[in-house]
Amino acid sequence: MIVIIGGGPSGLSAALAASRNGAEVILIDNSPQLGGQYWRHLPSNWGEPRATSYDYAKAEIIFTAVVNSPYITPISNAQVWSAEKVGEKIKLNFIQGGKENSVLAEKLILATGAYDRTLPFPGWQIPGVMTPGSAQSMLKSHGVLVGKKIVLAGTGPFLLPVATGLADMQGQVVGIYEVNFPWKWFSTPIALLRNPKKFKEAFYYVKKLVRHGVRLRFGYVVRSAHAGKDGTLEYILLSKRGAKNEVRVDCDIAAIGWGFMPDLSLAGILGLQQIIARDGTVVVSIDENQRSSHSNIYAAGELTGIGGSDLALVEGEIAGLSAIGEAIPRALLQKRKWLNNFANALIENYPIPADWMHLLNAETIICRCEEVTLGDIKQSVLLLKADSERSSKLMTRAGMGMCQGRICSRNVMEIVANCLGRKVTEAERISSSYRPIASPISLGLLGDGLMDE
Amino acid sequence: MKPAQSIDFTFNSASHSAIAGQTIAAALIDSGNRILRSTRFNNEPRAIFCGIGICFDCLVIVDDVRNQRACLVEVLPGMRIASQ
Repeated sequence: MIVIIGGGPSGLSAALAASRNGAEVILIDNSPQLGGQYWRHLPSNWGEPRATSYDYAKAEIIFTAVVNSPYITPISNAQVWSAEKVGEKIKLNFIQGGKENSVLAEKLILATGAYDRTLPFPGWQIPGVMTPGSAQSMLKSHGVLVGKKIVLAGTGPFLLPVATGLADMQGQVVGIYEVNFPWKWFSTPIALLRNPKKFKEAFYYVKKLVRHGVRLRFGYVVRSAHAGKDGTLEYILLSKRGAKNEVRVDCDIAAIGWGFMPDLSLAGILGLQQIIARDGTVVVSIDENQRSSHSNIYAAGELTGIGGSDLALVEGEIAGLSAIGEAIPRALLQKRKWLNNFANALIENYPIPADWMHLLNAETIICRCEEVTLGDIKQSVLLLKADSERSSKLMTRAGMGMCQGRICSRNVMEIVANCLGRKVTEAERISSSYRPIASPISLGLLGDGLMDE
Repeated sequence: MKPAQSIDFTFNSASHSAIAGQTIAAALIDSGNRILRSTRFNNEPRAIFCGIGICFDCLVIVDDVRNQRACLVEVLPGMRIASQ
């Protein structure tokens, strides 16, 4: 039996490929509906209008194929909280409908995707500051506009579809403030030439945004967020990069994203070898066939490197074919290579400003869960002699809250290294992505397999 | 297309309605509740942040069970939701 974890583009594509010759495939996903983050969609009982993705027609074809396949069993609304090796097989433990259950996989394909990367700045904990992915998921899965006056900021091409979706649904997008400049693309001509579809997509969004009267500005950074009397966001202060004078923009939502982080929870638990991408992101190490360091485990999509849905689809297909021992068509490998060129260009074109830490002050919250400030972390290093993220964490509790450091640990690591006047080491990066439990489970459930909170 | 079904729930004892299938977070935003909880130490208001179950900032009490992620749990008829 082949088990796939993740029902986004890479998981779906892997399921179709792996079931091609009649192998039994189980597709486990934590959402009520297939599609992952990228192809989130409204339940079928909703009326119009519906917000959808650029290439949603493709998604619908894939959903239909998966649902109609006699070989694929989708298990939705299921959270895989742990995984263990049982001989050559892999046991996946999951919670579904308040009950614990497990499956034994002969081959496992991880397609667990990614989440928005965030950077701390003064006021980022104020209600109304959120990730672009958050605004997107509310709209695409629930038809809910997150606010009345919305600003998008940070970096990356993802800001465009989010802004377009919000504007299409009558959201007032006050502006998009991209920190990087678009002409950087001309320094990576191969990515441009080999992936013309990507640029067609970008033009599609820009055209729509122009029609909605949404302005796209480059080289701006959000310096701080400020709450009104009711405690929720009232305005943000922006400045041009490197400039001191600030511009006030009134808004009730500031959706700020800095690219994506792969969800490595299960890969870490299974002890798969991980490597560091060029921008410092930890990803699962794979071979030509999408096989990980474990011979029966494959990985596809964002957790092998952030590259978008087209790359995820190709990687998923390769992983699925590899899992059933099929030869990989050369054209598919070529397609992956070109899309990887594009993924690398994304890293080049949308870097996080190296000076992001300069915007912070001593009171800025770094760990949202445990309310640990920059001052607390600095003190742990400079006064209490913490020499790593780990030791600072033990002193300050940064990264020890409910999210297990998913949001802050990468940032804490950079801050601690910066205080010590050194660079973050590879070993630190990899160990900081390790979490013993993939998603929280109550002790009662762990004890007897029944939810009795 | 059939109209989406409306369901009733309470948040901090006030009555609201949602569309069946929405998560608690979506239903609360839709009904004008922008603040979901207060923090333990500084008593600061917090709301939805990551929206996809990663950050745990949207924790609420659902039918007396604490620490439920509002962005993942589907709102059901008669649900009693409270800030924690």
